[in-house]
Amino acid sequence: MNGGRARLGNCDHRCCEMNQPPVVEMRDIVKEYPNGVRANERVSFEVRPQEIHALVGENGAGKSTLMKILYGMERPTAGQIFVRGQPVTINTPHEAIALGIGMVHQNFMLVPSFTIAENVVLGNEPLRGGFLDYKAAVEVTRNLSERYGLVVDPEATVDAVPVGTRQRVEILKALYRGADVLILDEPTAVLTPQETTELFAAIRQLVGSGKTVIFISHKLREVKEISDRVSVMRNARMVNTVNTAEVDEEQIARMMVGREVFLKVDKPPMQSGRPVLQVRDLEYVSEAGVETLKRVSLNVCAGEILGIAGVEGNGQTELVEVITGLRPATAGRVILDGLDITRFSPRQVRQAGVAHIPEDRLTNGVALSASIAENLIVDRYEQPPFTRRGLMQPDEVARNAEALIEQYAIRAPDGTLPVGALSGGNMQKVVVARELSSRPKLLIAAQPTRGVDIGASEFMYEQLLQARSAGVAILLVSADLNEVMSLSDRIAVMKDGRLTAMFSDVSSLTEEEIGYYMLGVKHMPAEVIAANW
Amino acid sequence: MQSAAPISFDRAAERKAVQDERRRSSLIDLGVTLATIVAALLLGFIVIWLLGKNPIQAYEALLTGPLTRMGRAGRWLEVATNLILVGLSVAIPFRARQFSLGAQGQMVVGAIMGALVAIYLPLPPVIGVLVPVAVAMASSFLLGLLPGLMKAYLNANEIVSTLMLNAIVLRLYDFVLTYFLKPAGSSTTRSLPVQPTARLATFSDIFPGLDLGRFNLGVIFVVLSIVGVWLLLERMPFGYAIRTIGANENFARYGGINTKRTIALSFAAGGAVAALAGMHLLMGVHNRLFLDIVGNIGWDGITVALLARNNPLLVPISGLFYAYLLVGGDRVEQQVQVGSELVQVIQAVIILMITAQVLGDWIRARRAHGRRIADSG
Repeated sequence: MNGGRARLGNCDHRCCEMNQPPVVEMRDIVKEYPNGVRANERVSFEVRPQEIHALVGENGAGKSTLMKILYGMERPTAGQIFVRGQPVTINTPHEAIALGIGMVHQNFMLVPSFTIAENVVLGNEPLRGGFLDYKAAVEVTRNLSERYGLVVDPEATVDAVPVGTRQRVEILKALYRGADVLILDEPTAVLTPQETTELFAAIRQLVGSGKTVIFISHKLREVKEISDRVSVMRNARMVNTVNTAEVDEEQIARMMVGREVFLKVDKPPMQSGRPVLQVRDLEYVSEAGVETLKRVSLNVCAGEILGIAGVEGNGQTELVEVITGLRPATAGRVILDGLDITRFSPRQVRQAGVAHIPEDRLTNGVALSASIAENLIVDRYEQPPFTRRGLMQPDEVARNAEALIEQYAIRAPDGTLPVGALSGGNMQKVVVARELSSRPKLLIAAQPTRGVDIGASEFMYEQLLQARSAGVAILLVSADLNEVMSLSDRIAVMKDGRLTAMFSDVSSLTEEEIGYYMLGVKHMPAEVIAANW
Repeated sequence: MQSAAPISFDRAAERKAVQDERRRSSLIDLGVTLATIVAALLLGFIVIWLLGKNPIQAYEALLTGPLTRMGRAGRWLEVATNLILVGLSVAIPFRARQFSLGAQGQMVVGAIMGALVAIYLPLPPVIGVLVPVAVAMASSFLLGLLPGLMKAYLNANEIVSTLMLNAIVLRLYDFVLTYFLKPAGSSTTRSLPVQPTARLATFSDIFPGLDLGRFNLGVIFVVLSIVGVWLLLERMPFGYAIRTIGANENFARYGGINTKRTIALSFAAGGAVAALAGMHLLMGVHNRLFLDIVGNIGWDGITVALLARNNPLLVPISGLFYAYLLVGGDRVEQQVQVGSELVQVIQAVIILMITAQVLGDWIRARRAHGRRIADSG
């Protein structure tokens, strides 16, 4: 195969037209981070000239990593990249641009006080007498803008134009540098519906004039609308690449959330007790004024696991952070064992008996430069035995670390090692050890197995089930349907900040059924949900 | 791929490996710091040579100057006292990653508030020292608290707010001194001397015949502050909170630490220690206030803290070192006519190199952080 491709690259034009090579081909890409997390697992990906190729997958599926590798921002651990049939190594974005690959990031990288024309030419300015030829810059920008239907006023300053225009500036910038292949990283995430429509028109015009577009998204409707082919990634692997016309949204969704073998979880029957957590009509409006939680009500009982399924970004993060006191509730109540904890600080919430395994635990569940021992006491350092008579007791801190390292089989010689020196799985164990050793009444586990390997996942499941047997109420928030279905005693689905379903009986549930609620195809009436609190 | 974990995990061997690694990395740290200093000295050497002066003579003065006479050694220890106190003071907010630059203003406020008591209120011995010191520390605590609260609750950039506050406070100091504290008819702008009971005796007073210049009992402040700041940062729950915030503020908040209160108080605690430097100048060195009493100490103290990596047990070493350079620089000025610019060049190079190092650490940390975010993206 390799040899064949090399011949292709060397042959003359006619031959290539007959058997047109992919403009970009990535083969068996592996990306392993120093902490052991594998973001790409032998991923192969192929883009044909002049197509709109959607790359979809849930957060953490590895699509951003794959594109960062293509754009030279990350280096693959293994694998090969071919551009127009030629094997290449891409070490920096500069090299990517030289190969005609441009990327538009979610966060724009523009100078707000410069004009659009200045931003477009920045880094490669037309010069006259050693100075920026501003007229030429405006001219170039206007030409590009007209040729590709990306309407901008070259002389407006960037901070004066709306987000949709800034995005067009980013695209123009890439085109100015000669990009043939444009990677758009979730371009519609920041756009209004109208701006999205304009963007799609521009994308079509770009492709019509010979460009190729890679479109990263997890909004299936848009994928269906704009793309020619779609590649689906899940859990660091490439699941499939299909022609968009041949699949419907539900089929794409199914590929995204997966139909892998169900995790084998030995779950003893539930010994459900009193309701430990009661959430009533909880609402949260973000500082930006976005309503992310809309009248959410639920109960979690002692000894049960309530799973919250849903595509990420539908209010799950806010729900967890409001309950744990990290964000203030706008309205509604959170009651823990009869105690109203709605306005409690994070510390008060913890002292009331809530433990929290956060979704971004490798960044915010630990302090990397602090020792394991110090990480294990962040929620209790002021209490005895760690602090007595106003002074901390290093011996007690060390003893606590030793005990937990032993009990949770954390692979570390002792508690003095900085957490940053551990692998991802062991960092996770530090978090779990701390949270479970606080003997909580309620455990909130957010995306507990994201980004960790099978072994670490199994460890997490074991721990959750043990806590359940011990009578802890568990709120499990996960975008992984397998996980929610195999662990939960009851399942709620969140969509757009609302609970759209609540299932008391999980045994007969299918993934498809939940998927319909996750994607907003179906809703349960509020009364039905209320009946199943 | 995910090979099974080794059945027996040799904890003892791993522990030894970690300890070796730790020893190696602290040796590297020390080496880098020494190399920084040597490089800075070398650069100064070249600068003097380019100026057409005799670099060997200059360096002889620089490196042996402070020890050539007892009085000079006294001057060295006196300057070191100031620098160590300020170094300890800024190390507190620095450990919480709060770049408070307010030491200069905090010293001045401490000195003037303490001076009001020390000059005008006759008190018995010992109490005559303790009361002005307490007043000074309380005042600077409050002055430090202000930018701390602004940072914690309003997210005001602490570099800007502390610098602005310094400017305001320094002018106020000049104003109060010129119009209120200067005795009528005095030709120089300076206050009356402090009460005799508010003086910190110099060692020359205590041991007649021993000429240690103005090196005085203020050194007790240093000893107490080293112990106090170490206890605060390494042994008190408040210090744990400070260090945890410095390591990862989001984690601290998630873990239940009251990050806002801790950040605000870290500024204030630094202020209280900075006041001691002001009181050392007032009660031990000069015995009165005059214009520009603090000179550059607030800034030099920051260099001292950075050199010591904000470790309260290393601050005395870096303070002694830096004071030695300053006093040696004065000798160079007198002997070789190079001017104090030489020392400033060396100082600037040291700061640059340390900042570059700190920046390097910071960038590495950011990168690691970014990578982890990428994991989940």
